[in-house]
Amino acid sequence: MSEWGSVNGWLAIAGLAIGTFLIRYSFIGFLAGRRLSPLAERALQLAVPAIFAALVIPLVVMHNGELNWATRYPHAIGMVAAGVYAWWRGGMLIPIIIGMAVMHGVSALR
Amino acid sequence: MTEVAVTDEAIETKRARLAAFFAGARQCIVFMPSYVPFGMVCGVAAVQAGLGEWGALGAAALVFAGSSQAVLTQFLSGGAPLLMAVASGLVVNLRMAVYSAAISQRVSGASRKERVLWAAFLVDQTFILNEARHQRGEHMNHALAFYLGCAMVIWPFWIFTNALGAFAGAKVPASWQLDFTIPLSFVAMVVPMLKTRAHLAAALAGAIAGVALYALPLKTGLIAACVFGTCVGMLVDTFFKRKHEVSL
Repeated sequence: MSEWGSVNGWLAIAGLAIGTFLIRYSFIGFLAGRRLSPLAERALQLAVPAIFAALVIPLVVMHNGELNWATRYPHAIGMVAAGVYAWWRGGMLIPIIIGMAVMHGVSALR
Repeated sequence: MTEVAVTDEAIETKRARLAAFFAGARQCIVFMPSYVPFGMVCGVAAVQAGLGEWGALGAAALVFAGSSQAVLTQFLSGGAPLLMAVASGLVVNLRMAVYSAAISQRVSGASRKERVLWAAFLVDQTFILNEARHQRGEHMNHALAFYLGCAMVIWPFWIFTNALGAFAGAKVPASWQLDFTIPLSFVAMVVPMLKTRAHLAAALAGAIAGVALYALPLKTGLIAACVFGTCVGMLVDTFFKRKHEVSL
């Protein structure tokens, strides 16, 4: 039998859903197509690589919240391989396949 | 005669919009494997937190942001007050304000209804795919159709993977390390964007700060790393511009 859960649970879901939508809508909605200053726009362009690097690198080199080179170096090598291919040729499927293959290959070899 | 021409044009527009929609859908398919392990974990966790199977589906469909769903269920399982659980989930999603600001500069001229659609499906994947397409300089007619094509692949699939976890409790063998496709997909998108020294500096500083500040609660380290990386990028930008001006 599947369950509907508690009223509190659904209140929490509704709160998170509405709040998250407001975050997503914030600048899209309230700037309403107005241009930011050139400085702010430049900052935003740089914020994209900054935030994705901050998102990606811990996922690659950290394990259980700690920097762990001994277990994560195959992932780092896999990431570099995927990055080099993406730089050279672009695309996404092939870099992912290369990254996974290199990571599993290096893991198997060690 | 004119009417016929207008109709032809309308058909042409419709066709181009459909083509953009399917291009978005096709390009998003590669994100799907990365959703499987995490979606299942979120589904299992939601049931364990007492949301019920349908609650797990509701969270996946309405929130559509895995990390915050995981934080919400974690706090609810731990018996935290409702407001605190919701607020914690929202802090995790603050990075989307950065995406919102960046995308707001790409959607000038969009109607309110269109802006609501842009916002509703704003996640890491749809954002970075749209941004990458923009930076490759592809012509951005029917940008919303492309974006929605992407969303209509990954949003239902996200709900599906949560359902697998919630209803079947199914798990992918951990040894496959499918979750490693998440950082790989972002690397593939972001690396081609690193065209200037400033971009590279921003990414490097963001990466270092991201690791150093990882222990901060609720992914707030991510926001701090974003700010730090952006500032470093701006400094490098200013420095090289000035040097360039001097050499002139």
